[in-house]
Amino acid sequence: MTALTKTAAVIVTFNRSGKLMNVLDALAGQTWRPDIVLVVDNASTDDTQALVEARGKTDPSLRYLKLPVNIGGAGGFHAGLKAAYGMGAHYFWISDDDAYPQPDAIEKLVRAIQQFEADNTWRPSFAASRVEWIDGTLCEMNTPRTVWDWPRFVRPDAAWALVDSASFVSILVPRWAVEAHGLPIPDYFIWFDDAEYTRRLSRSYPGIFVPESRVVHDTPDNRGVNFGLIDAKSLWKFRYGARNEASWRRREGGWPSLISYAFGVRQQMVRGNVPGKYRREIYRAILRGATFRPRIEQVKAD
Amino acid sequence: MTGQMTGTPQAMTAERMTAAHIQGEVAEIRAIYDLLYPDQNLTYLFRAGKDAIWGAPEVTHGPHTFRPGEVSANYMGMLRRPGLHPAAAEVTVDVAIPRRPLPHETTEAEAPWRGIRPLRPLQRVSPLAYEQIRYLAEMIRKKRAHRHSTQALPLGEGAASFPRPAEPASDKRPAVLIGMHWLEHGGAEKLAFDCVNWALESGLRVFVVAGVASVQRLAGRLPDHPDLRLIRLDRYLPYELWPRYVEQLVRSENIRLVHIHHCRQLYDSLPHLRISTPWVRVIDSTHIVEYADGGYPRISGVWSEFIDLHHVISGELVDYFRDTFHLLGKVRLGRMLDRAAEPRSLPPVRMQPGQKQLHVAFVGRLFYQKRPIVAAETVAALANWARNNGVAFRASMVGEGPFLGAMRHLLQRRGLAEQVALLPANTDVPALLRQADVMILPSNNEGLALVCYEAIEQGCIPISTDVGSQDEVVPADLLVPLAPRKTVQATVAAVDDLWRDPAFNERQQAEMRRLWTRLGEDPTARELLSQVYRRVAAGGAGFEGDGFDKDIQA
Repeated sequence: MTALTKTAAVIVTFNRSGKLMNVLDALAGQTWRPDIVLVVDNASTDDTQALVEARGKTDPSLRYLKLPVNIGGAGGFHAGLKAAYGMGAHYFWISDDDAYPQPDAIEKLVRAIQQFEADNTWRPSFAASRVEWIDGTLCEMNTPRTVWDWPRFVRPDAAWALVDSASFVSILVPRWAVEAHGLPIPDYFIWFDDAEYTRRLSRSYPGIFVPESRVVHDTPDNRGVNFGLIDAKSLWKFRYGARNEASWRRREGGWPSLISYAFGVRQQMVRGNVPGKYRREIYRAILRGATFRPRIEQVKAD
Repeated sequence: MTGQMTGTPQAMTAERMTAAHIQGEVAEIRAIYDLLYPDQNLTYLFRAGKDAIWGAPEVTHGPHTFRPGEVSANYMGMLRRPGLHPAAAEVTVDVAIPRRPLPHETTEAEAPWRGIRPLRPLQRVSPLAYEQIRYLAEMIRKKRAHRHSTQALPLGEGAASFPRPAEPASDKRPAVLIGMHWLEHGGAEKLAFDCVNWALESGLRVFVVAGVASVQRLAGRLPDHPDLRLIRLDRYLPYELWPRYVEQLVRSENIRLVHIHHCRQLYDSLPHLRISTPWVRVIDSTHIVEYADGGYPRISGVWSEFIDLHHVISGELVDYFRDTFHLLGKVRLGRMLDRAAEPRSLPPVRMQPGQKQLHVAFVGRLFYQKRPIVAAETVAALANWARNNGVAFRASMVGEGPFLGAMRHLLQRRGLAEQVALLPANTDVPALLRQADVMILPSNNEGLALVCYEAIEQGCIPISTDVGSQDEVVPADLLVPLAPRKTVQATVAAVDDLWRDPAFNERQQAEMRRLWTRLGEDPTARELLSQVYRRVAAGGAGFEGDGFDKDIQA
């Protein structure tokens, strides 16, 4: 619990200027307006830069970080969080360029994380919103993972379950957690960077799921992350996901955890009747992950 | 709205708690520096602390210019207090406000113990071998202890032609400043807490400070009394400013006596105090001679010219001060025992030769000093002994601390989880000792372990390592060697003798009775120190003049 509440929103975008403008509109209408709104542009080739610059002329809170090349969502969140940390923010609201927070979404996150600490003394390492798809149903791919004693502090008026993994779609991370655990791993490029990071933050204490903070994720479809769903279009993402999670498994649980993971992936692909050539790609990615040891960058403490 | 909450009742609760925390700490900080710098123009810079302990205070003199690092993310705000006049000197206090402690920080002062990394494989295979290495390291430190000075620092009396500082007039009742090591669990700390109560009972106003910054988990144990004030110098005052602060406190609060309980900063304040406030009396209490550097008794001896009375808790320390620092009259023994209102008699011991059950007790904070791993191995060896002799075995081990996890793990490994009860620190120890046959105390070092005295009072036989003043309370035949393996073997041998040999058992009982009676004849710490406090409260020096020793003896 801190009296310091400077808040920075970090939005990573790539060639989705229309959706990004919707996000910036939603941020402008927040009851808890971030002091800094940092747009991290992953070398977009559309009109993103022009639109953000035009908006920045009337919105002094808006900052623009243009990356020279597309380094993926993971690289974008890494660069954005690092920059926002340097700007001295005490809370970092991290989200995608296609997720529209309800007007009180950020306020509810800040309020929850502070009240949880006031009530229970423990400091949540992050707070995650309820992410809904455009039809109001739960967004499958953004479902946080609960810890075994998730209801420990759940009350009717404060139904905040303990979670140890969440996606980079409307999560609030306090500065102390970044100081303690560093930045997201940029080398993951895409997928599992958010799971790895929030699990890393949870070493201090789990995060909380804040259902009253809601955000709408405007994705083409509402699908979870299941290796049974691999098709030609999504294969590249699944390959990154398999490599990254395999790397994490090897780091945290050693070979037994990695083998168990590979077996689970196989089961999903078998059940999903995934073609053999895709399966082989995924196995190769898992093998790459076994020796993939990306560096975790720490921040310089004040 | 930017960076602020809308005013819902729930949010206000969190905000109010934060504000109350900050206001409380700011008031604490200001009370310290407003006293230290009564005339100067004071500027306070407040930062948000990273931990729950340390305020990282920095004091600079002269006009202050903000530098980039001072207004970083942790900058909270600034307050100015004008000096006596606009041209007064400028002083800036840059200090962090520690956050509220997390739950585990208020329950555990230290992280769970793990052996040093290179020796962890050995510790896993043979915990006793690991202990043996640590014991050897302790003995090497003991051999090197002579490197630390045992020469008392001189105190110049000054020449009569120069004026001595005059004692200011005060309309406040006399006060005592009690300096503790910290407000955590421990024998020395228990005495310091007792002293606070005795000083209040004697009519003194009491100021308490601690030398070591910590969460001070036992601060709540200080009595809620209008004449008592805990000042968080440990958290908010740089080391080098302690002497000047103590001088200001002495002058403003009519402090007549400083009582040092293992507080290094107060020892280091003595030169300043002796010269600037020579009317103040200084006493200290010491407990245990550390192997490595002599510990606080050596520090006390080095400062002995600046100290009016050394209170010690054991005969070993009386000898230590005499042999090392050549001190006689101003070293006073005051046992940490309660004088019974009525003469007491000892109950018969429970352990009888040939009995068919054995209940072993261990009571101690689970820090290395008590050697919990050796205690667990001793319990395991006694369980083996009991099995071989057809004796039903159980043990109760009382204590909390960083070794709890390692001790529990070891007992489980030895298959003793069901036979050994691990009990919390607030267990009713006398009741436990009334049920136990023997109590083991395989400590690395002790002053004089009161729990052995308590054990005898409850009919339980203590078996202890031969360290410190343990020979004043434990019969010689029940003192065991310090080397870990020998500790275990000799403890089992002692239990075996008590069990097999009725004459041996009888002899130990007689010896225990003799030692217990002799200890009870010595003055207690309460008698000694209350006497000092009462005399100070009455306006006297505390321990000079006729009748002091006579009163104590009485």
